[in-house]
Amino acid sequence: MLSPFALLFIVFSVYPVLASLRLSFMRYNAICNPDQSPCGSVGFGNYTTLILHDDRFHKALANTTLYVIGAVILGMVASLTLALALQEDTRINRVMRVVFFLPSVTSGIAVVLVWGWVFRGDGVGLLNAFLNFFGIAPVEWLATTWMAIPILIFMSIWGGAGFGMILFLAGLNSIPAMYYEAAVIDGAGPKQRFRYITLPLLRPVMVYVGITGIIGAFQIFEGVYLLFPTSVGSIGGLQDMALMIVPYLYDAGFNKFRLGYASAIAWVLFAIIFIVSMINLKITRSLEDLK
Amino acid sequence: MSKAELRKNEKLMERSGSFSNPFEKKSRASKLRRLPIYLLTVVMIAPYYWMITSSLKSVKELQVVPPTLFPREVILGNYYDSKYNPEMFQQEVMQGLFQRYPDLKFGFFRFMINSFVVNISITVLTLIIGSLAAYVVSKHRFKGKKIIYLVIIGSMMIPWQVGLIPGFLLVDDLGWINTYWAYIVPALPKAFIVFFLTQYLTSIPDELVEAARIDGASEFTIYYRIILPLLKPALIAMMIFTAIGEWNNFLWPLIITTSQDMATLPVALANLRNSGAGNIGTQGIIMGASLITSIPTIALYFATQKHFIRGIALSGLK
Repeated sequence: MLSPFALLFIVFSVYPVLASLRLSFMRYNAICNPDQSPCGSVGFGNYTTLILHDDRFHKALANTTLYVIGAVILGMVASLTLALALQEDTRINRVMRVVFFLPSVTSGIAVVLVWGWVFRGDGVGLLNAFLNFFGIAPVEWLATTWMAIPILIFMSIWGGAGFGMILFLAGLNSIPAMYYEAAVIDGAGPKQRFRYITLPLLRPVMVYVGITGIIGAFQIFEGVYLLFPTSVGSIGGLQDMALMIVPYLYDAGFNKFRLGYASAIAWVLFAIIFIVSMINLKITRSLEDLK
Repeated sequence: MSKAELRKNEKLMERSGSFSNPFEKKSRASKLRRLPIYLLTVVMIAPYYWMITSSLKSVKELQVVPPTLFPREVILGNYYDSKYNPEMFQQEVMQGLFQRYPDLKFGFFRFMINSFVVNISITVLTLIIGSLAAYVVSKHRFKGKKIIYLVIIGSMMIPWQVGLIPGFLLVDDLGWINTYWAYIVPALPKAFIVFFLTQYLTSIPDELVEAARIDGASEFTIYYRIILPLLKPALIAMMIFTAIGEWNNFLWPLIITTSQDMATLPVALANLRNSGAGNIGTQGIIMGASLITSIPTIALYFATQKHFIRGIALSGLK
């Protein structure tokens, strides 16, 4: 009874991961494949090129780092704020919770297309039309290099804050009310109650939201793919302003057909996510030991 | 998590209530403090509002600067324009969404059919396979079980893009490009589902299964009569997650479809946008297609809200 899962798991989950490791040490592109000798193994060649010489990858890495930091920290603050604001179980709060959660179940592509209209560079763009009321001239939002990451971070928060909010709400609800009652009797104000009861007891939720948020943010693709195309057959926008790791992987693998190189990118992505998650866990553990 | 804890957790979720401090009274000032959150709610709804209203505007109205907040005239031409004539070019008359793909059998409906076929197949099969595996892992004793479980759990730490290239090559070698197989089969083994269901089953006492075994029930009977009914709440939660996740999947469908007729809705949507990129006149059609793509998951969410929220809490907080 385990066999259907086991078989599929080995063929479509385990094998691709191992094969991708093998590919990452090979030159494999439109004219070469692993069976031909001069094109075969390149040792750590793909990795050294990626890490030492590939400017586009460095750009992608820098962009992704910036994006992840912004999206995760601001997203967490937004989620927690929403949870606290909508904590009370009133009818209007229930409705608003649903509204804030809606993007989590909406097609990412559909949402990105609306944002694409909002940030259009001409007068039909919604943000430009809005700013026009205040006499501000139209801005080419998606063609202004420093704008790309903030726009993507904004979209991420809009789309993900509701999900974090639900988790924080569950966490808040599991804090026994008597802790707060006792604190009130002891004369603790709202700030102190938040600092000494709510925050420490929410730490497990924060770790969870943080780690899943980081992992998800590193894998951003759709927004970059649709909003920041580059002329023909590439991705990343003007001067690669929005190039990120997974879009670059897609570009290397499916636009340029450099499959070995793309596999190396995938493994670097895995290494980064792994290390960041471990550091995150370590920090939280040591914080807990401190007390 | 023990069964009792689970139940407690569920109760908490159902109550979904929260602590309000009886010692503090609400003032007018505190009501005013909630103004920002009402404004944010507007920001949250705005894209949906824009999707709906823009899909009902005429090409002429779409070109107006600044854009109109309310459609001056509600038209359905972006979906189906009866004035459209393929033989004749007319200004301000566009091919409606459902007239756009004359070469495709069923036109735009084709993408909806693709999405539904892929989605339902994956959701049903993945849950069957996953629950069978979870039953074996949690209620059977055999050599190497721990290692198998460890590999399954360990695989969750690997971003799925790691296997993207070989996965694509494999599907290509199998001749599955542009078929439903490429969508469905690789999506079936979901480690998270096995992990989640196993966790859920370990909280159920082994005696239930043992007793049935002594009574001579076959393994399949035990699975069907005892395990499945017990798993129901967990399965419902997983069903909703899988269905919504798969519906909105984009990168994998993008690389395994090269011909238009096998695209699912998100891919068709991206293609539609790329074909008419900057042209404001096509935005009404694109918004209409976006709306159609969004509705099924939102409807599923509304229909199963209670299970949904409980599921998130169950899977997220252990």
